Amino acid sequence: MGTESLLVLFFAGLFFAGAALIVSALIHPTSKNPQKKEPYECGIQTIGTSKIQFKIGYYLFALIFLLFDVELIFLYPWAVAIKDFGVIAFIEMFIFLVILLLGLVYAWKKGALKWV
Amino acid sequence: MKAILFYIFSVLILACGIFTVTSRKIYRAAIFLLLTVVSVAALYFLMEYTFLGVVQLVIYAGGIVVLILFAVLLTHDSGSLLPPLGVKRTVATFALTGTGLTVFLYTILGRKVEPGSGEFNEPSVKMIGGQLLDLYNFGFVLPFEAISILLLAAMVGCIVLAMKFSKTMN
Repeated sequence: MGTESLLVLFFAGLFFAGAALIVSALIHPTSKNPQKKEPYECGIQTIGTSKIQFKIGYYLFALIFLLFDVELIFLYPWAVAIKDFGVIAFIEMFIFLVILLLGLVYAWKKGALKWV
Repeated sequence: MKAILFYIFSVLILACGIFTVTSRKIYRAAIFLLLTVVSVAALYFLMEYTFLGVVQLVIYAGGIVVLILFAVLLTHDSGSLLPPLGVKRTVATFALTGTGLTVFLYTILGRKVEPGSGEFNEPSVKMIGGQLLDLYNFGFVLPFEAISILLLAAMVGCIVLAMKFSKTMN
């Protein structure tokens, strides 16, 4: 079921994204000056390149995000099945979330969430 | 109809996979990896393994690739081209992947695959959720709660390690 519509959607998406690029490439006015190559045409002047080394601290955010991402995956089947189980399912997920919340509290206390 | 979609996504997976390993710009390699992962998710959806597809999208496309991009951003010369592969490395890579492919094909082609006779129901998200929360009929409540402790341990571990590391860096 639905594979035909998926195929239609695939080609429709391809067409819309492609058509916008091709049509704008065909009809856009051309003007050449160095300002056009700047990341921002108006605003603050950029300093250096965009490919700089980031602080190690940012990696921590990505790691914590990944762990909560995994937690989110478990919420999905839970949300679908909760109707058949009622309060028990609610309590089970509550325990699950409280244990994970301890991790968030720990991260907060340690200052891992501080944006430096 | 399914066959057409399958071939489209297979070509996407193969092409993006090849671009991932041959691209000399590391950001492009990461983006091609993202495309590969998304195409694999599309194959899962095509086989109606909805939950697996969602996991693939959320964890791999949303999490792992972002983590890899972050790791790339942490290196100091991420903007420069990667060095071209020497003959030695190319030969070694071909030998390794060739061996892997041979073993894989040998195992698959050595087996006789016959279509099953019984009705097969794809595990729906509702079934997975039911099994996860069931207290009585061989459910997986205890493993489910144990997972949260595992995640907690992972979180505490990465905070401890990363904080120690960033303190020595500053």
